[in-house]
Amino acid sequence: MGTISLEHSNRLYWLGRYTERFFTTLKALGSLYDKMLDTQHGYTDYLGCFGLADTYEDNAAFLRSFLFDDTNPNSAAYSLERAYDNGIVLREEISTTSLSFLQMAKDTLEKAQNSTNIRLSLLPLEDILYAFWGCINEHIYDDEIRNIIYIGKTVERLDLYMRMKYPYPIVEKEFIRLLKNLNRVPRSTPFRYQTKPLSELVEILGTEADYDRESKRAISSLSRLFEAGEVSV
Amino acid sequence: MTALHQEQFTKAVGNAGEINDLLRRYGVKFGIYKNGEFKEQFFPFDPIPRVIPSQNFAQIEKGLIQRVDALNAFLYDIYHDKKIVRDGIVPEDFIYISKGYLAQCEGVTPKNKIYSHISGIDLVQAKDGEWYILEDNLRIPSGASYPLIARELTRIAAPQAFEENAVVDNRGYAQLLKETMEYANCGGIRAILTPGRFNAAYFEHSYLAEHTDSVLVQNDELFVEDNILYHRTYSGGKTRIGVLYRRIADEYLDPLTFLPESLIGIPNLMEAYRSGNVGIINAPGNGVADDKGIYYFVPKMIRYYLGEEPILKNAPTYLPFYEEDMKYVMDNLEQLVIKDVAEAGGYGVVFGSELSKERLEEFRAEIIAQPRRFIAQEVIDFLDLPIIDNGDTVMRKADLRAFVLSGETTKVWASGLTRFSRNPDSFVVNSSQGGGFKDTWVLSR
Repeated sequence: MGTISLEHSNRLYWLGRYTERFFTTLKALGSLYDKMLDTQHGYTDYLGCFGLADTYEDNAAFLRSFLFDDTNPNSAAYSLERAYDNGIVLREEISTTSLSFLQMAKDTLEKAQNSTNIRLSLLPLEDILYAFWGCINEHIYDDEIRNIIYIGKTVERLDLYMRMKYPYPIVEKEFIRLLKNLNRVPRSTPFRYQTKPLSELVEILGTEADYDRESKRAISSLSRLFEAGEVSV
Repeated sequence: MTALHQEQFTKAVGNAGEINDLLRRYGVKFGIYKNGEFKEQFFPFDPIPRVIPSQNFAQIEKGLIQRVDALNAFLYDIYHDKKIVRDGIVPEDFIYISKGYLAQCEGVTPKNKIYSHISGIDLVQAKDGEWYILEDNLRIPSGASYPLIARELTRIAAPQAFEENAVVDNRGYAQLLKETMEYANCGGIRAILTPGRFNAAYFEHSYLAEHTDSVLVQNDELFVEDNILYHRTYSGGKTRIGVLYRRIADEYLDPLTFLPESLIGIPNLMEAYRSGNVGIINAPGNGVADDKGIYYFVPKMIRYYLGEEPILKNAPTYLPFYEEDMKYVMDNLEQLVIKDVAEAGGYGVVFGSELSKERLEEFRAEIIAQPRRFIAQEVIDFLDLPIIDNGDTVMRKADLRAFVLSGETTKVWASGLTRFSRNPDSFVVNSSQGGGFKDTWVLSR
């Protein structure tokens, strides 16, 4: 094929972002679930990371909303729906097999709602997501297409990790991964990075001390990384 | 399928659940608008296939090739010399007042003179075993992707059924389609034009694009420059398109030639097509040949263009346009099925037997007022096929859409879409009307 439209390039980017947002949200909620076994309102720090107020009656209400409520833009279900919305129009690029894993994830999440052990019933989602990424590697022959998805994935991961105040060594590894992906982007495409925000990121994420002090500025620089990267798809 | 084989098969697949789960996993859906809202539904699949023995299929195959070749000859003739009209075989009225006739296509000759590259011919089998053609679909017939993916999944869910039956492999459809597209290619990449995700057949558009290595495009990604069609790339470049398998209706294709209000068309596409720089599958203007009124004349076309007797029969059809037929229709309205020639997808089909006395009289007046708008057909008592319904095997009405592909030669895909009614009292099998589908097995012996 070897021809990608602007619309599809945006879809590829957001497929990477939303799939990663789903995965990282799910993992974070898994850890919170464990914490909430011992603590009432054990999720308030998590809400604080995203500047959200605690309007939830209890742990169960929070969990239900953040896992299954697809009208809550911060929920796992919402991210998965958006990932699927992008994936479904990319079938010929990502393959029916890759797409089938997003459908399986949707079905698994839906079934988990009625489970008596939610955490256990969500465990297969991790396998499904790894299989999805395996398929993306296996079925996409065009490096440009794969790289756009991976840029979306790493941008999202870095953003979430910084918001959730992940330790510096983990953030640094993800940043290096993003740099590698960015270096593969051809010039004159919307995913060619803007030099100023990238320089800011290099500066802030260069040392642990700077990261601890200026992670908010890093998040802002990351959001300005692409001229057309923040399209709403 | 013999009763014994059917029993074996049902045992082998267990129940429809397993295969439907797989179809769900692979996103086999179709879209439907209800009360103005778009909904995606999984297409209900019944695991008991329709089985066509080899000899029977050979006859159907010959008949379909003959029919499609005649229809292609008709289309060339209508947009050029119109000999068939001049020779009095098809009345002029049926050509020029047909919505499908497009004056803008006059004199345009597609590459290799093929107009209908992908023809979806709807057939039914009567209880006496005879096959009848119900309808020709020469514009954008859909449905091939469903049996294609269903076969792939059924072979996983019920391998034993394939070990025990000599079924012709149908999984070469994508390759056949690719070859057909290449034969119409005027130099460039292959593309499939979709109106977008919210089209009823979007699954099919994307699935066929994936399996034919074509680019799935929407109109805003395309432009015409110097009479050449291009795909606009994300880096600001352009890639030439040599063949466009369009899945949008003729009138929306090019706002500068057809409907100016079309938001899903490509300005100047028809100029690129007329110049021979891009192949369009199927050719614009084909609607004149699959008009329900023209259907009546297809056996005459076969005799006229090919000098052969039709191998497959039409369902007995009457045209109220002719005085004699009008009389018959008026006398027998309660027993006939009346079709509005402008409608498709199972809409505009009325069974006289289902109308109240009052409605029947109103309908009679409508036919008299607009005789060209309707055709009437005898109700064929078609063969019921077994389906699994909540664990029980029940019998339902079913038709068959056969796919005929015209490239270097005309070929019939050894499979097809068998659609069935889920309602025990209904003859309407369309998915938009709640119908399901089955695989169609052609046996190799």
